[in-house]
Amino acid sequence: MNDQELRRLQEIDKRVKEIASENGLITTDILFELVSPQRMIEAMAYNFPTNYSSWDHGRDYDRQRTIYDYSGTGIPYEVVWNFNTPRAFLVDTNPFALNVLILCHVYAHVDFFLGSTLLQKSRAMGDMAQEAREAEKRFRGYEAKYGRDELERTIEAAKAIQWLQDPDPYAQDVDEEELRQHLIRLKQEELRRFQDLRTQTGGRGISGKDIERVEAELKKIKYRTPVVDEHDLLRYIIGHSPKPLRDWQKDVLSVIRLQARYLGPQMRTKLLNEGWATYWHTRIMRQLFEEGLLTDEEHGIYNEYHKNVLTKNRTRFNWYRVGLHLFEYVEERWNRGQFGRKYKESEDPHKRSDWDSGAGMGREKIFEVRTHFTDRMAIEEFFTEEFMRQEELYIWGEMLLNDEVVYVIIEDDLEKIRKILLRQHTLYNIPLIFVKDGNAFGSSGLYLVHEYTGFELNEVFETGALEYVQYLWGKTVNLETILEEEDLDEEGGIAFVPILHSYNGKSHKVKVLDQTRNPRFPK
Amino acid sequence: MPIVRSNPTGVRGPKDAKRHREKQKEVIRKKLPDIIAQEDIITDRKGRKVKVPIRGIIIPDFRPGKRKHDDEDEGDVGSGGASGIGQGSGGVGDIVDRRKAERSSKDGQQAGDEPGEDYIETEIDIEEIIEMMYEDLGLPNLQEKDHAELEVSLGFKIRGTKRSGPQVLLDKNRSSDEAIGRFYAYLEILKAETGRDELTCFSALKETGGDLTAAFELLKDLEFKASAEQVEPFPVFENEDLRFFDLREDMQKESNAVIIIELDVSGSMSTDKKYIARSMAFWLTEFLRKIYDKVEVRFIIYHSTARLVDEYTAFHTVESGGTEAHEAHEQVMHLIESQYPTNRWNVYVFQFSDGWDFSPKKAVEAVRKLIDKYRINMFGYGEIRVDELSQSFSNLYEEFYSNMSLRESFGTGKLEVIAGLQDYPFVGLKITEKTQIWPALQEFLKKGRWQR
Repeated sequence: MNDQELRRLQEIDKRVKEIASENGLITTDILFELVSPQRMIEAMAYNFPTNYSSWDHGRDYDRQRTIYDYSGTGIPYEVVWNFNTPRAFLVDTNPFALNVLILCHVYAHVDFFLGSTLLQKSRAMGDMAQEAREAEKRFRGYEAKYGRDELERTIEAAKAIQWLQDPDPYAQDVDEEELRQHLIRLKQEELRRFQDLRTQTGGRGISGKDIERVEAELKKIKYRTPVVDEHDLLRYIIGHSPKPLRDWQKDVLSVIRLQARYLGPQMRTKLLNEGWATYWHTRIMRQLFEEGLLTDEEHGIYNEYHKNVLTKNRTRFNWYRVGLHLFEYVEERWNRGQFGRKYKESEDPHKRSDWDSGAGMGREKIFEVRTHFTDRMAIEEFFTEEFMRQEELYIWGEMLLNDEVVYVIIEDDLEKIRKILLRQHTLYNIPLIFVKDGNAFGSSGLYLVHEYTGFELNEVFETGALEYVQYLWGKTVNLETILEEEDLDEEGGIAFVPILHSYNGKSHKVKVLDQTRNPRFPK
Repeated sequence: MPIVRSNPTGVRGPKDAKRHREKQKEVIRKKLPDIIAQEDIITDRKGRKVKVPIRGIIIPDFRPGKRKHDDEDEGDVGSGGASGIGQGSGGVGDIVDRRKAERSSKDGQQAGDEPGEDYIETEIDIEEIIEMMYEDLGLPNLQEKDHAELEVSLGFKIRGTKRSGPQVLLDKNRSSDEAIGRFYAYLEILKAETGRDELTCFSALKETGGDLTAAFELLKDLEFKASAEQVEPFPVFENEDLRFFDLREDMQKESNAVIIIELDVSGSMSTDKKYIARSMAFWLTEFLRKIYDKVEVRFIIYHSTARLVDEYTAFHTVESGGTEAHEAHEQVMHLIESQYPTNRWNVYVFQFSDGWDFSPKKAVEAVRKLIDKYRINMFGYGEIRVDELSQSFSNLYEEFYSNMSLRESFGTGKLEVIAGLQDYPFVGLKITEKTQIWPALQEFLKKGRWQR
């Protein structure tokens, strides 16, 4: 991009900001940087403008770059960070019209960052860009001092469990001892109440057994670690590993944990965020053309890229397309008053499709969705039969046919697809695992429990991941989980077998647990 | 806020990518036996690159396994292979996309049996595979082509000129160049010393036939006048101007090898067995290419007779009738005599057979002769005994073992090996499955075995 074009882009930037503002989008200063495609690819692979070195980042970089270099597709164009001063990259060599498109797209993302109640919290996590940049320097020092292998292994181990976070992504880090004291106080009060009641009722309402139970619970709270089930595995390991971890290792784990906590929540609004940005870039661009700020030729280029962004993909879920249509669908319905009890109860399809009370609440509604909804909520609320039919969604499955793998539609029942989408957007394929005991079997072992949410764990990965946990813990690690086995009593049925998978640093052991003692497991 | 140009060069990406490729290589190295045994390396290869389904490196985490059960409300989605969401028209049963299946899924051994590994297809250079083979054999960066060099006389060659020599080797051109130079030098001397003009000096020099002293005398006589009309240079030979060709014997270090593959094409050599022989031949050739500048490969097929054929014919011929290995060995002797004398060629002979021979004694005798008399670098015998329904007859391996001084041992993967004592260049082995191709190559190529 030459200086003249740069000045022109700066002028357009000003106007885009005004248009965004006029349309009710929250705007702020955005730092746009013109970079090379390689730099863009690097930023995408490393998650931050500058981040620590690691071969898995290198792998993603390589993959992207190969696609870019050899296929000419996969042109890198969009990256924006929800920082205090939001920051975005524009690729210097991309067509001017594409950069304008991205600029508009980024303004809408920034509005989403600022407007979504979920993402607002991400912003409160501090200056992530700065943190990542500094981590890069420190990690380099660790490599020089403690060796590449040790650093790599620590990074890998942290990444193996980085998504095992507190279900509340913004849960406060409460000090374990503080929590313990608090719980002890509550239990002691309960005990006192029980004792008082017992005295008052002369031992009729409350038995000695009840008192003993509460006393046992109190004792447990006093000595148990973690004091309550801990889902944030990295946090627990950093605080309690008997290995012991060295300070630099704790630093590495903390950096990776923090980045994962920052990035995790963005998954929960991906559909809405991309849909929102596409919705607005379409509209802002339209206005720029109307105002004559872009040429006809540029309009043509824009159309091409815009069309690509919205391509229906036979084997992938196009967030941009479905997201855009979702907002347009919601806007249209709320404009015509197609909501509320009367509309819902109306069964006449003609009446429903012609329904127009002239409510004109579309714009208001989509801003509400942007502010309060996650993808899961949006799917629950707006993936109606009508919308899903319009989007032509289906589930494909891979099958082997002669020498080919073919993708075959295996499900087109809308209600089933909706259920699958909901499940995906609830669990994100991350299992629920928590620390039950940090002093298992009285020998500083770690006892993890995998809560069954509809799937057993991938055995191969489980083995590798458990070895990493053991590397961080130093002592034996145990994982209670479920195997889905063929039910011998019932043809085609599945029996759920609870097992304890242990690894002591040398060998793996798997023990079948007594099923009757584990009522948690599904029957 | 302004839009700024930012120019930090991306250095971490390439550096970390390199590290990932290194890690991938470690994985490839572990899978070397599988990769080497892979059929399409030889058949579908395009240029020097091969496609190898290797496991990309993924950090193992806790993730869902394959769904084994169907939730009633979700249909049969997710059971078995991969699945996902797509968009477009069509109903259940319609094919929406397709891709070529990876070999591994045919073999049925693709499922990750090591933590955190997942298949991605990657292209790797044959060169890289060979290098890994070298490293595996404890022969890193084989720059030692010297091992393989032979001193060969190519006859005589002119290596410049010298000042003495027999008349026949007089280098006339060089000599007259020198002599013309001398003519001008004399002319200048005469001019300077006598003060007479050029033409006069030339006339004197010419008259005296290039004798400087005589010309001086002539010029002292002031009566002497120029007889020539112009200066016509002529060569003035002195002994020291003579240049003779320097002829030396041309001893050149040559680095040639020939690999002669003897292939049993009797009816019992199935396609699978031939494939193994072919694969071995391919890798042996690639391997030796690293050591020698020039490598030739010849194929001899044999049953009751033997003949020299091209590669395609070798692996696509089936004959019935007897099996007489010594016929092939004799063909090798002819070849050595006519085309590959062992003073100029490093000769490697590999025989592949399923083990039955009509005249085993003759066969062993011929091999002895090849090693002792013809002094070939190595004789390798690969007995291929895959896909045997029952233990069929075999006598060649036994015959070698009982009639030569060989030591029995086991290679990687329980490969049976018999090898010559004290660097006697004979190696025999029994290949019972495809995955033994690499161990077999290791045995053939062990350090010390291929040099002589």
